Amino acid sequence: MADVRHHLTLYLRLLGAQIRSQGAHRTSFILDALGSLLITAAEFAALALVLPRFGGLGGWTLGEICLLYGLAELAFVLMDILFGGFDAPNLSAHVRSGSFSTFLLRPAPLTLQVFASDFALRRIPRVLLAAAIAGYGLLHAPLAAGPETAALLTAAVLGMICFFGGLFVIGGTLTFWTVDSVEAMNVLTYGGRTLISYPMDIYSAWLRRTFTYLIPAAFLSYLPALHLLGRPLPDGLPGWAALIGPLAGPLVLAGAFAFWRVGVRHYQGTGT
Amino acid sequence: MIHVEHLRKTFTTRTGRFLSAGRRTHEAVRDVSFHIPRGEIVGYLGPNGAGKSTTVKILTGLLVPDSGAVSVGGLTPWQDRRRHVARLGAVFGQRTTLWWDLPVIESLRLLRHVYRIPQGRWQANLSTFTDLLDLGPFLHTPARALSLGQRMRADLAAALLHDPELLFLDEPTVGLDVVAKDRIRDFITHINREREVTVLLTTHDLGDVERLARRVLIIDHGQLLFDGDLARLQAAYGSQRELHVEFSEPVPDAGVPGLTLLNHEPGRATYAFTGAAADPIARVTAHAPVRDLTVREPDIEATIRRIYEGDLLRAGVR
Repeated sequence: MADVRHHLTLYLRLLGAQIRSQGAHRTSFILDALGSLLITAAEFAALALVLPRFGGLGGWTLGEICLLYGLAELAFVLMDILFGGFDAPNLSAHVRSGSFSTFLLRPAPLTLQVFASDFALRRIPRVLLAAAIAGYGLLHAPLAAGPETAALLTAAVLGMICFFGGLFVIGGTLTFWTVDSVEAMNVLTYGGRTLISYPMDIYSAWLRRTFTYLIPAAFLSYLPALHLLGRPLPDGLPGWAALIGPLAGPLVLAGAFAFWRVGVRHYQGTGT
Repeated sequence: MIHVEHLRKTFTTRTGRFLSAGRRTHEAVRDVSFHIPRGEIVGYLGPNGAGKSTTVKILTGLLVPDSGAVSVGGLTPWQDRRRHVARLGAVFGQRTTLWWDLPVIESLRLLRHVYRIPQGRWQANLSTFTDLLDLGPFLHTPARALSLGQRMRADLAAALLHDPELLFLDEPTVGLDVVAKDRIRDFITHINREREVTVLLTTHDLGDVERLARRVLIIDHGQLLFDGDLARLQAAYGSQRELHVEFSEPVPDAGVPGLTLLNHEPGRATYAFTGAAADPIARVTAHAPVRDLTVREPDIEATIRRIYEGDLLRAGVR
């Protein structure tokens, strides 16, 4: 127990150091923050301006789409802030510069140090924007207010954080072998995020099925949203599938960390 | 403190891509064994790619060997990483352990938490190191703004705050001026004497070795070529001493019986000899009138170069 507390405070201290370091480059920080905010804002504005002209998308209203889009964006940005150290470009930079070896030379858990090695505070404005979009969705989608809705939506966000965090960990781990694989991983990570930002019934069946059964992205927020909006689940899936759907996130994350340990062993075998 | 038995490490590098891919293996460390008792400073020498850094990476737990046994203070480095690294300090000249954008003092404070150093111990060490290494003027400067010498001093302090039993130093004086080198060498001597810290020093700067280490390990092509006293190295493999002579007038024939003539110009000559200088000097002065002469000692650099070049030994006298 004392260990857990020590590790938690150490994580926060290292994060604090990371954040103070960012303060040393204030201009680039502000420009980064503005840039990433503008991208999300423009992307969403295009959607919000076009959608009302068609009266919705595949039978989904703007409010319902905002719910899916806002929750996915919120989860992804939070994940990006938390798991930034595992993001392939960051991790491979640490490996190349030798700071990864420095982590190994310190008597603190390796994953803790990687988690604390990057904390993109510049993404905070995007978190606020995503929360606003999700908030709009909550107000305008026909949801039953109640503990079940709150619990399932929270679980969906946590599930997505774990799921995309897992993809970051897998992508970062791959760089122990090769950096060429990073692009392929990005297709999955960023493609997956875009995919689940919209109702998945607008996609062709094979794409939706791939991202349901092969890569369990649809379980995270799409199925719970269908359930909360009183719509039937696809492929005759039972209702409880929507309730346990978000668990797919922690499962993927657990698998990703197992792979991470293999990657670290490989690194210690080759010392690249 | 350090026990290494029959250590081996082979690297496999892939050549080409995809279907045409082949594999090339490179034996970085071949059957290396040595022991280092507590409190010793050992110089670990070898040309680039000889296997030095592979050995150090294994000893620090960064790399897992193919075979062989390593015990550092009773622990196997790669099996018990966190307990092992808690007891060692490492300074790698090429990179820093300090937080690049933060003032030095903040890095040192963070390390207190990383290593869980008791506040009193940390404070005492900090003030000792601040005195010895003169850290005061730049404790509040970000690491990125330090000169190389300042950064090295800060890194040394950072590596020793947690009272490690063992210190790995890799090129600790590279790129520094004479004064800065001296300060760092004095500091290493101090912590070795006062705190019994065992030091493994890898360096290309033989000045470091001559000043700090009584014992040297020499590795080349992954094999240990020499393990012993610096003095024994000189005696066994040292080049011959040289006698540089300036004659009062040009000498047509500078040959002297019993001495090897290395070089001869009309007014001067250089001879090689072994042992005491009195007899060769007597012979030369008997041969022709001498204005001046100097005896030049073989330097360790030349000795080691000769060992690397393999003209003295190959498969290793231990």
